[in-house]
Amino acid sequence: MQQTSPLTRAARALAPLAWIGPAIVLIGVVVVWPVIEMIRSSFLKINRSGVVQGSNGTGNYAKLFEEPDFPGVMARSVIWVVAVVAITILLSLALAQLFNQRFPGRRLARWAMIAPWAASVLMTAIIFKWMLDPEVGLINMVRHDLGLLDALGGADADQLGQAATAMPWLIAVAVFVSLPFTTYALLAGLSTIPAEVYEAAKTDGASRLRTYWSITLPLLRPALTVATLINVMNVFNNFPIIWVMTHGQPGYSTATSTIFMFILKRSDIGESAAMSVVNFGMVIVLVAIFLKVSKWKNEVS
Amino acid sequence: MSKRFAGVVTLGVAAALALSACGGESAGGDGGADKAAGGSVTLKLVAADYGDGPTADNSGDKFWKGVVDEFQAANPGIKVDVQVINWNDIDTQVATMVQNGQMPDILQTGDYSGFVKDGLLYKVDEVLSANTQSDMLEKFAEFGKVDGTAYGIPFVSSARALFYNKELFSKAGISEPPKTWDELKADAEKLKKAGVTQPFGLPLGQEEAQGESFLWFMGNGGGYKDDSGKWAIDSPQNVETFTFLKELTAAGLTTPNPGTKDRKTVWEDFAAGKVGMVNGGPMSMPIFEKGGLTNYGVAAIPGKSGPLDTTLGVEDWIMAFNKNGHQEEIKKFFDFFYSSSAAQKISDTYKLLPVTKSGIEKLSGDEKLKPFLDALPNATFYPFTDPKWSEVNTQIKQTIGGAVTGDPAKVLGAIQKVAAAG
Repeated sequence: MQQTSPLTRAARALAPLAWIGPAIVLIGVVVVWPVIEMIRSSFLKINRSGVVQGSNGTGNYAKLFEEPDFPGVMARSVIWVVAVVAITILLSLALAQLFNQRFPGRRLARWAMIAPWAASVLMTAIIFKWMLDPEVGLINMVRHDLGLLDALGGADADQLGQAATAMPWLIAVAVFVSLPFTTYALLAGLSTIPAEVYEAAKTDGASRLRTYWSITLPLLRPALTVATLINVMNVFNNFPIIWVMTHGQPGYSTATSTIFMFILKRSDIGESAAMSVVNFGMVIVLVAIFLKVSKWKNEVS
Repeated sequence: MSKRFAGVVTLGVAAALALSACGGESAGGDGGADKAAGGSVTLKLVAADYGDGPTADNSGDKFWKGVVDEFQAANPGIKVDVQVINWNDIDTQVATMVQNGQMPDILQTGDYSGFVKDGLLYKVDEVLSANTQSDMLEKFAEFGKVDGTAYGIPFVSSARALFYNKELFSKAGISEPPKTWDELKADAEKLKKAGVTQPFGLPLGQEEAQGESFLWFMGNGGGYKDDSGKWAIDSPQNVETFTFLKELTAAGLTTPNPGTKDRKTVWEDFAAGKVGMVNGGPMSMPIFEKGGLTNYGVAAIPGKSGPLDTTLGVEDWIMAFNKNGHQEEIKKFFDFFYSSSAAQKISDTYKLLPVTKSGIEKLSGDEKLKPFLDALPNATFYPFTDPKWSEVNTQIKQTIGGAVTGDPAKVLGAIQKVAAAG
């Protein structure tokens, strides 16, 4: 029996570190440290030029929760995420189904689908804002020519000027830029479903709807889950679309949590950090709820 | 033993003396010593870039080179090294210089107050001759003081006035720009009838709501603070002002949904001939002209019962650091700068206004600048020395536009609450 010294044993136990060590360091530096730093700064009193002036206890949070616009902003963020993600997924399911069929020009159509993805979100938002300009916007000119709009330049032509008409446009642009990724994720999912399963369903005489509901959707679940999760996080943290198109105005009536965070940063960095922590927590909660819901579905089927 | 100790002490004292001698020379006698040796003093000047970057025709480098060449020709013993930094980076770069003890002699930027507490700056009295000091516009110089002592020297200023599209005015049959709110409203109605979509351009969106609102408050004797220096954002005058703006907006006489419109957009609409009148500054002239509009007039901003005799003043600063001890040379440079043609050059190149009485004099021939120059000596400023201002400003930018659609008293009251809180 060979005697191993404790030192050798320790070295052996630590050996895997050589392989996973770099990854741990990377995660630590890139993910964990910023999160800790964010949480830490949410408890600090920081002046406008970024100089820390000592601890502020929970003062930043108290101030944040007392902001009269805070509840509205949070509620709007949730509605924004649910609306954008739900519409994106529904449209993408249809588009993926379409692109999965053979039809002349399919390659071209698939290429065209990439366009909103390839363009910068900032540019897309700027272009939409411009198309909605009350004086010279293309969309308003078309509405005017169709007789849907009495005159250019007035309040009726200014759809981004009021929350009730601006929100649908913001959501539409967010859906537009989310579609390519989601469609391609679902398209990849569709191509993994073996043709035999469909043949079997056909032999059993299942209707098209029934086939889609009982075969396609359940087998698409992994792709659907991943696409939804990534979209939830992306859309929740989406900043450029709203900032470019409305600045969250009028008032805070089109602002979501990231916009609110950015506006707060101009006056109180500590409070803005508190908002970041709340935002971070919200994303985790939304993701947890979603995972729970999708698992529940799994058990039912 | 005691002898050796004494020796060490002597050595130490000698070293200290030698050191202090060096120190004395580099702090105070530098200039004289250098000049006696036939050398020259080099002043390091750091300045912000008002132009469009280092390669542009109007770059700060080119502007300062012109000033410095002229100065050096007149003062052969003094050289000036200029470093121009863009506005985004200048604060951090200067902070680094200060931390490393490599202060410039002269700094031109947007704020001076941060350096005062650490005793880094010369007092204005030490580096600016009495003549030049008395030439400064008092209201502007006043803001250069911390606890009664002046450290910041006004460098350039800007102001606001009413711009109106002469062609649209004559089309609507209006011969003169409005002087009162009633006239403004009547003219706006005429413009509307003549088919102008935005008779009055009213940018109360995020970009500049604090400026536009302030100009309107002034027209009714209001402001952000009252005469005693207390926040008075929801004062009766201010509520009345926004009630008037609300009527204008409801009648379709302004930019639609003013609370979401940025100044830049409205200025561009004015340049495109879609807006009848708008408040602007000298800096908006290039935008108008680039958009193809040259037939515009400039007038004093209408107030409730008569045109404003004041305007919204904005100023940037120049200051002198005391670390290198070049007091005399800095003084020469400042006196040269304020008496040279620099004011004219700044106005021509950057559409910024002078801060001296003589500067105003030199520009007074310009018809389009006249309304600005007239109001400048009596300018009103943002309450930016109040530590609450940045927070209040953020809140104004985001929410004050709501006062033209919602209840003015309520919207202004909410902002007042932010200002008055702890």
